[in-house]
Amino acid sequence: MDSSIRNRLLTILFVFGLGIYALLPSLRYSLMDEEKKSNLSDNQIDYFESRSIKQGLDLKGGIYIVLEVDLPQLIDNLAKNKDNNFNGFLIDLKNEYNNSSSDFFTVFENLADEKELKLPRYFINYGKTKDQIITQLSLQSEDSIRRVIEIIQNRVDQFGVAEPTIQKQGNNRVIVELAGIEDSERARDLLQSTALLELMIVKNVESTNAIIRQIDSIITASNVNDVEQNDQINELFDSSSSSELGFSSLLISVGGNLAIASEDLTALKDILSKEDVKQILEATNSTILTSDSSIKLINEIGEEEEFYTLFHLFNNAELTGGVIEDAQMRLSQAGVTAGQAVVEVEMNSEGSREWARITGANINNRIAIVLDKKVHMAPVIRSQIFGGGTVIEGLDSIEEAEDIAIVLRAGALPVPVTIAEERTVGASLGADSISKGTLSMAIGLLLVVCFIVFFYRMSGLIASFSVMWTLILLLGVLALLEATLTLPGIAGLILTVGMSVDANVIIFERIKEELRNGKSVRSAIDSGYERAIRTIVDANLTTGIAAAVLYQYGSGPIKGFATVLFWGIIVSMFTAIIVTRFVFDFVTTRKNVERLSI
Amino acid sequence: MKFMENTKINFMKFKSFGFGLSSVLAFGSIILLLMGVNLGIDFKGGTAIGVSFSEDVSIQEIRGSLKSVSLNNSIVDLSGEEIKYFGSQSDVMIKIKSLDNEPENFGQIVINHLYDSMSAKTPENKNDFILSLGSVSPKVGSELSGKAFWSVVSALVLILFYISVRFEFRFALGAILALVHDVVITLGIFSLTGFEITLSTVAAFLTIVGYSLNDTIVILDRIRENMKSSGTVMFESTINKSINQSLSRTLITSLTTLFVIIVLLVYGGEVIRPFSFTMLVGVIVGTYSSIYIASALLATIYQSSNK
Repeated sequence: MDSSIRNRLLTILFVFGLGIYALLPSLRYSLMDEEKKSNLSDNQIDYFESRSIKQGLDLKGGIYIVLEVDLPQLIDNLAKNKDNNFNGFLIDLKNEYNNSSSDFFTVFENLADEKELKLPRYFINYGKTKDQIITQLSLQSEDSIRRVIEIIQNRVDQFGVAEPTIQKQGNNRVIVELAGIEDSERARDLLQSTALLELMIVKNVESTNAIIRQIDSIITASNVNDVEQNDQINELFDSSSSSELGFSSLLISVGGNLAIASEDLTALKDILSKEDVKQILEATNSTILTSDSSIKLINEIGEEEEFYTLFHLFNNAELTGGVIEDAQMRLSQAGVTAGQAVVEVEMNSEGSREWARITGANINNRIAIVLDKKVHMAPVIRSQIFGGGTVIEGLDSIEEAEDIAIVLRAGALPVPVTIAEERTVGASLGADSISKGTLSMAIGLLLVVCFIVFFYRMSGLIASFSVMWTLILLLGVLALLEATLTLPGIAGLILTVGMSVDANVIIFERIKEELRNGKSVRSAIDSGYERAIRTIVDANLTTGIAAAVLYQYGSGPIKGFATVLFWGIIVSMFTAIIVTRFVFDFVTTRKNVERLSI
Repeated sequence: MKFMENTKINFMKFKSFGFGLSSVLAFGSIILLLMGVNLGIDFKGGTAIGVSFSEDVSIQEIRGSLKSVSLNNSIVDLSGEEIKYFGSQSDVMIKIKSLDNEPENFGQIVINHLYDSMSAKTPENKNDFILSLGSVSPKVGSELSGKAFWSVVSALVLILFYISVRFEFRFALGAILALVHDVVITLGIFSLTGFEITLSTVAAFLTIVGYSLNDTIVILDRIRENMKSSGTVMFESTINKSINQSLSRTLITSLTTLFVIIVLLVYGGEVIRPFSFTMLVGVIVGTYSSIYIASALLATIYQSSNK
């Protein structure tokens, strides 16, 4: 064996060995049955998970969610001395930002210039000039996103998902991928809940009644205005829609609390968003919130009606979720709530002191436990509470209680997040795609092998060997890169197989041509390869350029496709040019081949 | 095995016919595309829901159920949205345009509504009912389509540049026109089937671009090689010779690829079907265009520049 052949053999064996080594964990892991998998230690699972080719959510089932941090809301939260001018600006900012593709703070700056908004007036804590303020605000937003990611990471960890992926996208989005999750509804709520826990004192009945009367008078006044502005004919009709009769007509009394029917919630929202109503509430430092869960009552005609309890509360929270040290779901042991899921909350020492002071100062008042602006319960404080413990009741299910405990432990999101994009693939659809995809790949490959062996005989076998190794090596590279295989990735695999077959076909056709021109087997192989290589390199490099560009600019699935294609090109050039050439050379140098089976 | 060896087909004789056919197909495709492409939610935003009933359902039943869906304390009518079967008569895909003031968990609300209102035909476990759920906000949709568009355009420009350097500009022009031709005609045929364009179908179109490019370069490479001996005189016969020389390779490669694609189309399952179909059309159009667009255009360009 001459030294060139030996060196090439060693190189090829080395690369093959590397490919097998890279692919081994994936193979072992996928061949393991469930029972063996459950016996693995955590370290072993980590090893297999990180070294195996991951299947994308479209194949495996799971949830992909892109959360977008509500930056306009963040600006709203940070601003002080807000007036009508600012509120108008904020509404325009939201619309403008939703319809533009530029960076949020660019939109913010342009709009502020256009509207001649005096930024220092609202953001004096963040600087004196426009530039200072914008720099500080964007730092604030980066900080919020960091905290959002941290908190979501916390929540997902506690939810217990295998290999979650959480990453930042652009400067205001977070991508969360949860593989294998079935209950998408629950996962979504868990991610999105701002989990803002507030403890607020309920206003006494007298001031509540006073505020209802005030709101009533505003509404009737504005109705009179409306009517006067409208045609006189309207007055001929006795308009009796509920909102025109005022606020109090929407309310009924249920068990000593005020309540509102579920179909009137929209009307309530309208009333509360009226400018005059807002001012009255602000002047009395109070706010109106509804309960989280509803009460069902049967009305006089036997229909079931749903009611939400209405609370009039002091606007500033006495305590917020920041003081929470631990929160656990428990099943209540005693009292009317026995057997129901509750969340037990423990506060840190500072929170406990505050809690003791608040409960001490408000004996016989009611305190509302408010989560995300919904009142969960409002018990009467009977005595001062020491030690910082409290219990949240009024939850619908064990799952809800567990999730609330998780979000309370993990912390509240600094800004609300909205879902910009979501993809859920049910496990059954994913499994269907995998089994059918694998089956058809196998049948397809078998057909290709039969076809080229039929055409090229022995040489066809060599080509099949090289195509098989192309697949093995490509999968090995994907395992090393810790890449995720998605449906478009499989498309890339198919294209790679096609190009790998093609490279062999180009070479064989060239060799046949050279043979037809009367060359000997040895020199036909040499010149056939030499000429074919140029073609193959040009064709592959052009496709490679396309793959690289797609990788650079493409998103999600397109990126996955590009990764597979790019490496596929490199691997298939290696197997077609180096491996098959070696086999031909190896055979023809060992014995004098007269006829080539091609 | 001898296959298509030493053929002497005069491909360029049918050049004008090829141009005519391509023009008609491309023109028809553009009209079809202007009439409206079925863009998936990836590109225009909205919600797509796939559900699996435990027995066959009629589309009418689902429309009936979607007539009144309660959202945010108001009732909306979703019966006019796009509803179609997905594989079998018990699996259904529903595509809903994005609404103003759409609640965050809109898709889930619709799924819950269907699950409750058609409870006689739904599986016991709700997780078995949900096949897939996708929702894309219009803002993200427009970003995704922008990204997909620009990545394809910049890839084409770079390829044009590379071929101009490796071959010459006239070759590159033919190759790029052939690619555009393939994508336009495949898109046209694609839009006839009613499949929708998603990020995955974009991947299929990119595969076609890759495949057709490979095919074109192989022939162009042959032409370049033969031009060294014959120059640009009798250019058509040089091209004919090159196409004939690489004909067996062109056919064998196309056939092997078609095998894989047909298997995928038959056994690949519902999710991959639009992809396989695109590939099927694309490979046929791509093989044709390497000969009758890339090479024939090259002949025409040379003839006119030599005069």
